Amino acid sequence: MNTQKTVLIVEDEKSLREAIVDILHLHNYRTLEAKNGKEGVEIALREHPDMILLDLIMPEMDGMAVLKKIREDTWGAHVFVIILTNVSATNEQLVNDMVTHKPLNYLIKSDWKLHDVVEKMEQIFKAQNTT
Amino acid sequence: MELKRNHKQELDVLYYCMKIFHTVAFIGCFILLSGIFSGQLVVSAQTESGQKNIFPAVPPEALAPLGTLLAESSLFDVNSESAGVRADTNNAGLITRVAPGELLPVSVKLSNFGGGTRVDVLLRYGIFSDEEKEIYVATETVAVETTASFVKNLQIPIDTAPGTYVAKTSIIYQGQLVPAATQFSFEVERKIFGIFQSDFWKYGIVILVIVVVLWWLSRTISRHRRTLRTTPFDYSNVPHATRTFYEIISDTIMQMRDRVGDSALIIASNIDGLKIENETGKVLSVTGRPGKIVADLVSEYEKLLGKKVSFSFRKEKTD
Repeated sequence: MNTQKTVLIVEDEKSLREAIVDILHLHNYRTLEAKNGKEGVEIALREHPDMILLDLIMPEMDGMAVLKKIREDTWGAHVFVIILTNVSATNEQLVNDMVTHKPLNYLIKSDWKLHDVVEKMEQIFKAQNTT
Repeated sequence: MELKRNHKQELDVLYYCMKIFHTVAFIGCFILLSGIFSGQLVVSAQTESGQKNIFPAVPPEALAPLGTLLAESSLFDVNSESAGVRADTNNAGLITRVAPGELLPVSVKLSNFGGGTRVDVLLRYGIFSDEEKEIYVATETVAVETTASFVKNLQIPIDTAPGTYVAKTSIIYQGQLVPAATQFSFEVERKIFGIFQSDFWKYGIVILVIVVVLWWLSRTISRHRRTLRTTPFDYSNVPHATRTFYEIISDTIMQMRDRVGDSALIIASNIDGLKIENETGKVLSVTGRPGKIVADLVSEYEKLLGKKVSFSFRKEKTD
């Protein structure tokens, strides 16, 4: 049985996206990449990854719009999403949107090392396997 | 005139009788005193507990190390005047444990009961091992008119092996009839960082045990407090529509309390529309717009922390 998890990285900043891909490969994850929100929705709904790492500020379609679209899908309603952003959650509308569409985590990029992000992902998958 | 001559003869006889009586009395007293003071050299030593022990005069054959000194006593002129001199030594062991190379202080007191006649007393200090091997010897001469008290420091040889030793002090003076000596035992022990080896290990183990116990206690208390602080509050009694807000607010307060301490509670308690338990930070009620309260709380924490705040959502529970 193939237990390799697939992770979709939706991030417009190329250097960060490639850094995430590299570290996930080191931890034996299969990766998918999307450089904007629109591409992210398409890949997600087509490939059904196990987890999505989602940036908020992106061209063509922002991260919250991507999350809404994905949650509208039957599969996407329950997929794990981690928001990786530099946007503060100090906006009432943003908070309400998050509460509505429920990402697992809202992580500030500058506050998190990639290694810690991977560790958090592994905790989530481990918890999923035990339930 | 005849009467006057007879009276003078009577006075002369009386004078000579009294002189003879005085001489006999003087000789008698001298003999008596000589009898009392012969072999009267008393040696006393003070133990570490401060108890003063009086040792009787020691016969010469009992003092093997003194044999040489007793032989040397013939170097001194013995005359009848000094035979009445009484000398006491008070040799106190001030400490009972020294390290090799350190000084062993010996308190000495000499008293001359010879009526003000100066007496030269030869003191001999010796340190002996358990096997009666002499590892240190020193001599000095002290002139004593009435009393002399001083502390003599004996240098313990640096290569002295650890063990029990005896410090012996003996005195020799002119006209001495019986040898006298005092002694006390002491321990030689090496030091580690200026502390005797046995104390170092004894106190070291005690300190180590105390440190381990304190470390274990502080770790247990810290873990217990941390567990209490980081265990999420249950809001299953809150209606589903607003439960997520309660959980976000509660978990954010808890996370910030872990990072900045109780000031996280003060900030949360000052947010309009939010009521929390002051001791624990548990959310009691949210009366304002929940989204705004979360945004205001995050905003205040970012001001306090100087950086942006991440947070997590709890896994959805089925009702």
